[in-house]
Amino acid sequence: MKSFKHGTWMHRGLALRQYNKLRTLLKDARHDCVLFANEFQQHCYLPREKGEAMEKWQTRSIYNSAVWYYHHCGDRMPIVMVTEDEEAIQQYGSETEGVFVISFKNYLDNFWPDLKAAHELCDSILQSRRERESESQETHGKEYPEHLPLEVLEAGIKSGRYIQGILNVNKHRAQIEAFVRLQGASSKDSDLLSDILIHGTKARNRSIHGDVVVVELLPKNEWKGRTAALCENDSEDKASGESPSEPMPTGRVVGILQKNWRDYVVTFPSKEEVQSQGKNAQKILVTPWDYRIPKIRISTQQAEALQDFRVVVRIDSWETTSVYPNGHFVRVLGRIGDLEGEIATILVENSISVVPFSEAQMCEMPVNTPENPWKVSPKEERERKDLRNTHLVFSIDPKGCEDVDDTLSVRTLNNGNLELGVHIADVTHFVAPNSYIDIEARTRATTYYLADRRYDMLPSILSADLCSLLGGVDRYAVSVMWELDKTSYEIKKVWYGRTIIRSAYKLFYEAAQELLDGNFSIVDDIPEFKALEEQSRQAKLEELVWAIGKLTDIARHIRAKRDRCGALELEGVEVRVQLDDKKNIHDLIPKQPLEVHETVAECMILANHWVAKKIWESFPHQALLRQHPPPHQEFFSELRECAKAKGFFIDTRSNKTLADSLDSANDPSDPMVNKLLRSMATQAMSNALYFSTGSCAEEEFHHYGLALDKYTHFTSPIRRYSDIVVHRLLMAAISKDKKMEMKESLFSNKDLEELCRHINNRNRAAQHSQKQSTELFQCMYFKDRDPETEERCMADGVIYSIRTNGVLVFIPRFGIKGAAYLKNKDGLVISCGPEGSSEWKPGSLQRSQNKITSTTAGGQSVTFHLFDHVTVRISVQVLRCHSDTIRLEIISNKPYMTPNPELCHQSSLLLKSELVKEVTRSVEEAQLAQEVKGKVLQEEYQEFCQTKGRSLYTLLEEIRDLALLDVSDSYVM
Amino acid sequence: MAGLELLSDQGYRIDGRRAGELRKIQARMGVFAQADGSAYIEQGNTKALAVVYGPHEIRGSRSRALPDRALVNCQYSSATFSTGERKRRPHGDRKSCEMGLQLRQTFEAAILTQLHPRSQIDIYVQVLQADGGTYAACVNAATLAVMDAGIPMRDFVCACSAGFVDGTALSDLSHVEEAAGGPQLALALLPASGQIALLEMDSRLHEDHLEQVLEAAAQAARDVHTLLDRVVRQHVQEASILLGD
Repeated sequence: MKSFKHGTWMHRGLALRQYNKLRTLLKDARHDCVLFANEFQQHCYLPREKGEAMEKWQTRSIYNSAVWYYHHCGDRMPIVMVTEDEEAIQQYGSETEGVFVISFKNYLDNFWPDLKAAHELCDSILQSRRERESESQETHGKEYPEHLPLEVLEAGIKSGRYIQGILNVNKHRAQIEAFVRLQGASSKDSDLLSDILIHGTKARNRSIHGDVVVVELLPKNEWKGRTAALCENDSEDKASGESPSEPMPTGRVVGILQKNWRDYVVTFPSKEEVQSQGKNAQKILVTPWDYRIPKIRISTQQAEALQDFRVVVRIDSWETTSVYPNGHFVRVLGRIGDLEGEIATILVENSISVVPFSEAQMCEMPVNTPENPWKVSPKEERERKDLRNTHLVFSIDPKGCEDVDDTLSVRTLNNGNLELGVHIADVTHFVAPNSYIDIEARTRATTYYLADRRYDMLPSILSADLCSLLGGVDRYAVSVMWELDKTSYEIKKVWYGRTIIRSAYKLFYEAAQELLDGNFSIVDDIPEFKALEEQSRQAKLEELVWAIGKLTDIARHIRAKRDRCGALELEGVEVRVQLDDKKNIHDLIPKQPLEVHETVAECMILANHWVAKKIWESFPHQALLRQHPPPHQEFFSELRECAKAKGFFIDTRSNKTLADSLDSANDPSDPMVNKLLRSMATQAMSNALYFSTGSCAEEEFHHYGLALDKYTHFTSPIRRYSDIVVHRLLMAAISKDKKMEMKESLFSNKDLEELCRHINNRNRAAQHSQKQSTELFQCMYFKDRDPETEERCMADGVIYSIRTNGVLVFIPRFGIKGAAYLKNKDGLVISCGPEGSSEWKPGSLQRSQNKITSTTAGGQSVTFHLFDHVTVRISVQVLRCHSDTIRLEIISNKPYMTPNPELCHQSSLLLKSELVKEVTRSVEEAQLAQEVKGKVLQEEYQEFCQTKGRSLYTLLEEIRDLALLDVSDSYVM
Repeated sequence: MAGLELLSDQGYRIDGRRAGELRKIQARMGVFAQADGSAYIEQGNTKALAVVYGPHEIRGSRSRALPDRALVNCQYSSATFSTGERKRRPHGDRKSCEMGLQLRQTFEAAILTQLHPRSQIDIYVQVLQADGGTYAACVNAATLAVMDAGIPMRDFVCACSAGFVDGTALSDLSHVEEAAGGPQLALALLPASGQIALLEMDSRLHEDHLEQVLEAAAQAARDVHTLLDRVVRQHVQEASILLGD
């Protein structure tokens, strides 16, 4: 049993932040912490004596409480009081038997000798604290001006003298450029439109990316411009030579309102670098993985041992006298370049914590084992509408999908009208509000999909079993059912409620499409049909085909209606849906777009829309909806310019005109043009976000991309927490309609707003981690190949943006976006020979609106236009401290011809899944090689013993089975 | 920055009370011999003294006399040393006028004034120490004093204040809680019938929450009634023992 005690006292001014941190820790039921208000307890309260110091009195009170608790437990349970106060340890240490007063270090040594990580962490904190103490005595010259006191800052913000905002460091020029995005009230009354530039680290004044800072504007003659040139991270002051663009508001940081320090992943310098740092070997400058974070000073003796590892550190302080912040070492993640280590890095950098579900959490889960199968309870059977015998319910999902959230049904009613049903897994039945599992799911907020693995929001017993609407088993569901007119498909009635369903078929998209197209040979691939006899099989098949056909028909109708309002189609079904979350071009790679995709998506959108309407009507101030604000017109200017270069006109005035003009902007000779234009349009748009209806006006609810006035997420409660909240709201709305007592209390507007912010935040982290892991795999894929010789390192690229010293290129085959330089570090420019091959020669570059010309000293010139196809060579730049990056090099201004044109046509893209598989395999092979080596040695030692009877073949097979699940094709809506 | 945390996550208020808990109430009746009725009450650190004269003939201009009922005259004052800041409070300043008026309204509703036509009842209340809930303390003290004077009333008048913090109603606010600036409500209740003698709130409070706060105040007033009832019974017992001797 663990029980932590704190006195209720607090040093308010001293550490409000610590206090709040402690409070949130305490609130979280998973930590098993209990707060005991000793001052309010009859036997624990001690009056303060005359002249007694506050601290003394508090220590005495806490000790007294500990003694009381010891006696309260019948003297049978020893109590430990942990303090760093030496005097208290002296005084009380041996006063009462059974109550120990010890320091934290001592506590760890005695009670948790096996917790190595905790010991290391404790050592590192102690050391850095000691360092700081000794340091504060010796004073150097000041590196930074002091921050202004809080009152001055607040007064300054009110009077308009200072501006408040969030510091955003430019990733590519982390040393020089940072921007402050205006925030809250200050943006309204100041006439500043753009962000404020913070130039140099001095002006940044110890603030770190993500901090809420207060900025003072510099006089106009000191304003600077941002650089438009492409720039590599390592060349720090290179940009100074370039002519910057027109000056923009520039300022300097005068204070920090809120520090957003988190855990950072860093790399220790290599041995040579340590030696060069020389004089104080105790303090080591480590380089964070994130470019935007400054180097951190760590004092540790383990530097050499940690050289080849990715390490987590925490920043403690940043004094005015120090160029870099001080921090301490927390834990080791893994080796540099190792797949697991790098994945762990990505997780930490996105603040994703994915510990396995705890025992307490799993205890809340229902059981479903072969001996003890889960059954529909009679109570639920009475309360729910039973659709098991009346409705033909089926699901359409990607092949191999485990977590089936949604099923569909359609049937003809007695009056001739149609009934369309969407049935969603009833997760809230199993996840009670504020249960351990609920709290955990809320913290995770979403299932994280990385390139090669996923981290579930709910334990697999729910996500893959009891909540998954698998075929042929009884499941609880939440259903929305519409009665539609038989001919016009107008919605006449809608019903929401809890149901019991039994999905008849678990189809995959391709099979459903084949059935829809009337190609019945696919039937053999559907397991549900296999067991049936010929007679009943035919009848069942006809029934199913009719349902799919009808469904498609209805979906077309609804879609057409939405199109008339201006729903955007940005690159196939997948991406139009993805547009909500994501602007990453990787995901613009369409998988064979099938009409069934669209049908299913449309039904889900319809369900989401109707649920949004329902919960908003019932709870106008505390419903969770999803908005997609209309984009700013100025962001479209690049899109318009690019389209003009190709002779298209894009009308961006409304979503309708944008959708229409994007449809018409199609170059028959090059399908990539349309794709890129659509991706640019996506880039220009803001993200869709969750929000609470109480926090903004009704006009702002609109979903721009889907052209709906209200929208929410309802259809995937297994992998999104927002859907769980919406389910609870819907259930509450239904019981409200029935005038029943509301069972559970809903989130208030304020709490819901806070929750929405958290979910949005986590979604962003999920996207970032997904993107970063994909990039990681791309790099690993190209890493071991020699770019000069290998065929696959050459690819066709399309230029989609032009900068002063290079172009941005998109490689459709691999889905890679990146920069290619036309001018290298030595100032040489690219030139292309008559047959297209390129070389570096002295010369100059000229950039205009949509082309860039490189002229060599010899007078030769070559021009690159937007949307030109070029051949690029892909190589990997291996970086020690950061993630590796892909480098692109233009080697010819002619499109790249694949030696095998047929292959090129058949699959012009190497699917992400393939890439992932290949990399995972090679990693495993490397591991295997090591293992085999170890084994051989072992066998040599045990010359006369028997081997363990495992041939290399079985070992290989086993490892192949372990191949990580490929989830890249489970669609994300 | 954020102000004081009025209600901790564990549900404790600053002085260690729970949301619906009252401060310690101590009261005594008959503290002055020369007055017709008197009482002294302590609610936590708030201390108030009430004195009642009457019913007697109308003093001053006779024209104020009411033909069908007694005139209730209330005066409120607070001692210079009653608050943290020492301050002279002359008679007839706005605050005490208002308080006097409120007390008068409260007691006109409670005293059976029609039994004493053309006469006057004087209630003087003085606050000796103000630590929040002065109105409530005054009403409670005055109730006891009126009873001590033997003036017939419909019922006890029990008063209590209530506030609203973080979605929870707090009853019997202390000075610190009042000073934090949240909504605050004062309620005087006739506990037997549940009728409200006076309800006052100056600040803004969302309509949805009113019922909750009102219920908290009413419950607190009923608790006050239990305590006052005990005090009265004890007093009567002591008095009868004295008489019996």
